[in-house]
Amino acid sequence: MPKDRTGLSRRDFLKTTSTGLAVSFASRSLPVSAAPDYDLAVISGNQAAATRKAVEALGGMSRFVQKGHRVVLKPNMSFASGPERASNTHPAVVHTVAQMCLEAGADEVMIVDNPLQSAELCLRRAGVVEACKGLKNTYVQMFTDRKFYREVKIPQGKVLDRVEVIKEVLDSQVLICLPQAKSHSNTGISMGIKGLMGLIWDRWSFHSRYNINEALADLATVLRPKLTILDATRALTTGGPGGPGEIVKPNLVIAGTDPIAVDSFGVSVAPWYGQQFKGRQVEHLLAASQRGLGKIDVQSLNILRASA
Amino acid sequence: MRAAIQALSLLLFTLLFALANYRLPDWLPADIYLRLDPLLGLSAILAGRTWVPRAAWGLVLLVATLLLGRFFCSYVCPLGAILDFLDRPLFGRVKRRTLESDAALRNVKHVVLILFVAAAMAGSSLVYLLDPIALLTRTFTFALFPPFVGLVNLVLDAVRPVAEAMRWMRIATLSYAQPVFYMSLVTFLIFAGIVALGRLVPRFWCRYLCPLGALLSLLSPLGRLRRTVGPECPACGVCQNACPMGAALDEGGTRVAECIQCRTCVAACPQDLVTFPASPHALATGTSERPDLSRRGFLYSVAGGAGLGFAVQQSPFTPLQNKQQLIRPPGALPENEFLTTCIRCGECMKSCLTNTLQPTLWESGLAGLWTPKLDMRFAACEQECNVCGKVCPTQAIRSLDLEEKTHAKLGTAVLKKETCLVWAQDKLCLICDEICPYDAIVFRTIDGFRRPFVIASRCNGCGYCEQRCPVEGDSAVVVVPIGQIRLSTGSYVTEAKKLQLDFKPNPGDDQFILKSEGLRVEPKKHETAGPQAKRPPARPAAKKPKGFLP
Repeated sequence: MPKDRTGLSRRDFLKTTSTGLAVSFASRSLPVSAAPDYDLAVISGNQAAATRKAVEALGGMSRFVQKGHRVVLKPNMSFASGPERASNTHPAVVHTVAQMCLEAGADEVMIVDNPLQSAELCLRRAGVVEACKGLKNTYVQMFTDRKFYREVKIPQGKVLDRVEVIKEVLDSQVLICLPQAKSHSNTGISMGIKGLMGLIWDRWSFHSRYNINEALADLATVLRPKLTILDATRALTTGGPGGPGEIVKPNLVIAGTDPIAVDSFGVSVAPWYGQQFKGRQVEHLLAASQRGLGKIDVQSLNILRASA
Repeated sequence: MRAAIQALSLLLFTLLFALANYRLPDWLPADIYLRLDPLLGLSAILAGRTWVPRAAWGLVLLVATLLLGRFFCSYVCPLGAILDFLDRPLFGRVKRRTLESDAALRNVKHVVLILFVAAAMAGSSLVYLLDPIALLTRTFTFALFPPFVGLVNLVLDAVRPVAEAMRWMRIATLSYAQPVFYMSLVTFLIFAGIVALGRLVPRFWCRYLCPLGALLSLLSPLGRLRRTVGPECPACGVCQNACPMGAALDEGGTRVAECIQCRTCVAACPQDLVTFPASPHALATGTSERPDLSRRGFLYSVAGGAGLGFAVQQSPFTPLQNKQQLIRPPGALPENEFLTTCIRCGECMKSCLTNTLQPTLWESGLAGLWTPKLDMRFAACEQECNVCGKVCPTQAIRSLDLEEKTHAKLGTAVLKKETCLVWAQDKLCLICDEICPYDAIVFRTIDGFRRPFVIASRCNGCGYCEQRCPVEGDSAVVVVPIGQIRLSTGSYVTEAKKLQLDFKPNPGDDQFILKSEGLRVEPKKHETAGPQAKRPPARPAAKKPKGFLP
């Protein structure tokens, strides 16, 4: 149960979280209208409330979404399993963000993924369709046909020079990533950056042809979310990305504009395969940070920790 | 009136066909037309020498025919409806000469019927070749459904730019998975041939070939509704020309067995002399023609059918039936029973969620034409779907709940070390492990590298590994029938437990990924590698676990 730990230093905090237990965070009261001078918002609580509070702490959705914008949300929903398996983003997180986008004046919210199992089954079991049923101008869509993708060049790419991306992503004004925190048998962890692979057509070549970590960093140079909200309310710490595996409950929602920082912080909130790691130890995050895409050392960041 | 009922029946048939997909509710018998066809059930029962519960529905049609006559052909049969509806647009302007002496042709359908029944008694179910309902369902599945989906997608593609501009996103993002099948063309050509025969005479198929019509015509003379022509009939011949079955004869006569109660003659008669009274004395009136088969002809047919049924079985395929490479659908009966019971309607393949179910050509001989197999390089069997058994009208694929279906082991994945990227080339690849829903693929240290192995007792043969293997050409991990569970009765769960199989999804065993670096194992850490592990590392040692750095 939430215990007040006022006066906890940042360093102590990181140490504490690195035990991998679900940790409750200080619930300092904060002026909601505060200027968005936090790099990261780390909020404990239930999915919907924590998500809302995290976005508000960063300055509210209107900082990212303006009237008339078309928004693409990229949760993990590429496995035909429910929230209990922690391989997909919790539907309440997706619903809250979609709702906030509409509140901020978005014209259209498109929730997309490129599934690994049958698209219909994924849509049905991941629960996102059900959760977002009441929202107007909100669409949940799997893109399983190549005609919905368009090639873009990757000028800064080291191993990839072009990639085919879902057209709706390229034509929208805002991309918001809503990854689920989970282990991954190939890249260690799968969070925001790894989740970008759900926006492209040919993901298999990442596994078989390229160094996947470099390819992910290349991909991150062209797919730049304005906001990343990591669902670490549950974390699949083994058996990822599909599960089943061990699940711990950090009970956190982590939001930020810097996708590397969000992922890097996410690495610290749970033990992966029974070990603690830092963001810097995740090869694809390091590669992406070396491309100048974000800060991997979260100690230097201004982090809001609160509970909702 | 009749056309409306026909259209409704065809619509219902099409609707049920469309509804045959993985979302099919348990209470809805999407295969009801096939169940109602007594010929299919009869053939399956005779050939398989076993009772087929769903075949009991066939009694409904038999009893109805006994009471009413051969109304099925003119009102219910969806193939009859298609032939009727296509007749005018295709052949409306063709002058068809009347086949005056067609008694011999008429007998063909009876010969066909006897052939199939005799073949079934000899142990081969061949009725699927010409049974109208099986043939039409098959045509829908292989020949009409794929181009239909293709056409819908073409229209959607054409509309898409407009929809995108208008932000009609439901339409703009709509696209249907394109089903594809082997044997589409040959199935279509058979159907097209049947339609084309209408060029010679209306309902050529129904008059001369249809074995179901032949079966029903044996009963229909007992029906209560009987065509009756008033004694004032001037024998003008109008009804004779109008009758699509050639059942109306000179001077008020009727070939009762051929009459399908369509009442075309009632409308055609200039003097309104034709009626269909529901008379209890109907049997006593009217003329009846029995199938004009001589004893010799009958015996020839029986002998031919039995010989055919026998010949179909006498090939190396039969003794080899349990040694085929074919992977059958989950819940498929043991191979010999499966082949005799399956009526090749294609309903399972139509409804298959992943499109992995495909028709066989010669893989299991003439006895196996059009039977379903899994093509796992193309698609896997989805563990959350059990529709193929649900829609099987003869239960050649047993209808199983998901738990039972999970334990109906299809086969076992086998790794081919010669082509596996890890075994043959020391590459970093673990897609099969990553995708396996049952954690049946594990890594063990061999020659200084972590190499994939299949734990046979955890593999239920779903085929995701085979489908996703990134090797070009044949997959390096292939599902073979080894260990398949094929039961004609009883629980697959019990059987799997008996065999100590464990398909419960387990937590991943991929912790090693973080404990060492990638698939390579430092020589000093060798525990299981043994003396053979002398090969120098093919790649420079990475510093830390897979995906992680120090």
